[in-house]
Amino acid sequence: MFKSMLFLHWKQARPGLALAIVASFALPIIAVEGLGRPVGRNAASVDAYRFIAAFDSWLPLFPLLALGVGVVLALSAWNWDHQLKHVYALSLPMTRWEYTLKKLLAGVTLCAAPAAAMWVGAHLAAASIDLPTGLKAYPNELSIRFLLATLISYSVWFALAAGTIRTTAWVVGSCLGFMFFGLIANDVLSTYFVYFEQVVVVEEIINWLMHAPGPFEVFTGNWSLIDV
Amino acid sequence: MNNAIELRDVRWRAGSSFALRDISMSVPKGSIYGFLGPNGSGKTTTIRMFMGMMKPDRGSISVLGLPVPRHMKTILSRVGYVPERPHIYPALTVDEQIRVHSTFYDNWDQGWCRELLTRLRIDVDRKISRMSKGETGKLLLLLALSQRPDLLVLDEPTDGLDPVVRRDVLTAVLDYVSERHATVFISSHLVHELERICDWVGVMDGGRLIAQLPMQHFKNGIKRLRVGQPPEQPGDTPFTLLARSRDEGEESLETWIVRDWESGMSPYFQSVGATLRDVIDLDLEEGFVELLRSSRPESEPRT
Repeated sequence: MFKSMLFLHWKQARPGLALAIVASFALPIIAVEGLGRPVGRNAASVDAYRFIAAFDSWLPLFPLLALGVGVVLALSAWNWDHQLKHVYALSLPMTRWEYTLKKLLAGVTLCAAPAAAMWVGAHLAAASIDLPTGLKAYPNELSIRFLLATLISYSVWFALAAGTIRTTAWVVGSCLGFMFFGLIANDVLSTYFVYFEQVVVVEEIINWLMHAPGPFEVFTGNWSLIDV
Repeated sequence: MNNAIELRDVRWRAGSSFALRDISMSVPKGSIYGFLGPNGSGKTTTIRMFMGMMKPDRGSISVLGLPVPRHMKTILSRVGYVPERPHIYPALTVDEQIRVHSTFYDNWDQGWCRELLTRLRIDVDRKISRMSKGETGKLLLLLALSQRPDLLVLDEPTDGLDPVVRRDVLTAVLDYVSERHATVFISSHLVHELERICDWVGVMDGGRLIAQLPMQHFKNGIKRLRVGQPPEQPGDTPFTLLARSRDEGEESLETWIVRDWESGMSPYFQSVGATLRDVIDLDLEEGFVELLRSSRPESEPRT
């Protein structure tokens, strides 16, 4: 049964997933392209700081790619069901939570493919450069972070995409509305209370979400393939 | 429990425009139950209720002796369902769809499935999105039948199909029923189609179940009577008078449409000073139309 769910998800996600696999494989290789001299030459001549700074310019693309992979897999998970008004799914001899759980797990399994491609690409990238003294490559760590970020992105978007368009619009609209009106309210309150001059509540919440121990810390953590 | 499907006082409302009103329906086990009604009368909504896809506001439902929705998983493993509109994934091929579908059903009969593929002339390599309406209809039936269900629920299965495909579909259903003694619940607005195959009939209109009776009773019980010197007030009739109209050009002659007619009821006319000139059989479609006409208030549109 799970195999069927996995097959259906794969069939639906194929084009996006293929693109994600290629991008995940290529990104670390492209990021190190031209960074160091070929293996065997004198690496000590390369300035470590400049080396890291050059790689850093590619860093935002890694969490963005993870986010994108999660979105593609989550939307493809529900696309057919929404199109068919869930009639097929509801006519199957499964409880609703069982169906949802299997669908979620099928997507989680598919998330492993781009992460594996990233792992291969990161190892190839690490092997293709001659690191200056004091620097190390972290292909395993990068791949695990990518996998975790993909899973979190997938889970959040899976939950959002599961609902009707109206429900999704409500959730997204509420978040955006909270941010917008929260900022305005903070601005107004700051004229009466000094506390709100020092603390912007919306910013605090976003910081809490995006940094340890927040649930989305994985996106803002250290994505470096090369570090000290 | 002798009923395959049982609804008790089921009520459901969607805004102010549509509602199912106190539906009480019993589908006997082993019967072929025709569910008739004009478009928009609530047939599909009723089906979705007992298939567990929608929850009634009030009332209770049981299918194959099990309460809905508590035992939905067990129920659905024994029910073959062909919905009004195709519900299968369009990007799959027939072969892929069969392989996927079969994994959800423990009773799946691959041999019977292969036989049906041949009988219904379905190409396994065909992509579903490229299949015609008739081919898709046959595939849906094949999937439902290959589950070896105890109850087959068909929602307008032949709507829009050409006569050849329609015959193929109905033949496959009848063969299955004769072999397995399964219950078939078939919804349609094509009255003639049901007349040939059903042994029970339920009629929906405006969200209400206006009649439910054995087909034979339905066919034989609704008559057109030609009545001479009709009384102004019919009084207590031994039958149900559905409609009466004066014949043009003949002041003293009326046509009555009656239900629950039996041949021994003729003396009623003598007792009210009228004469029964003629008893005319109505076919199912005429009976159906008269039933709908009599159930609606005068202001509502006529079928």
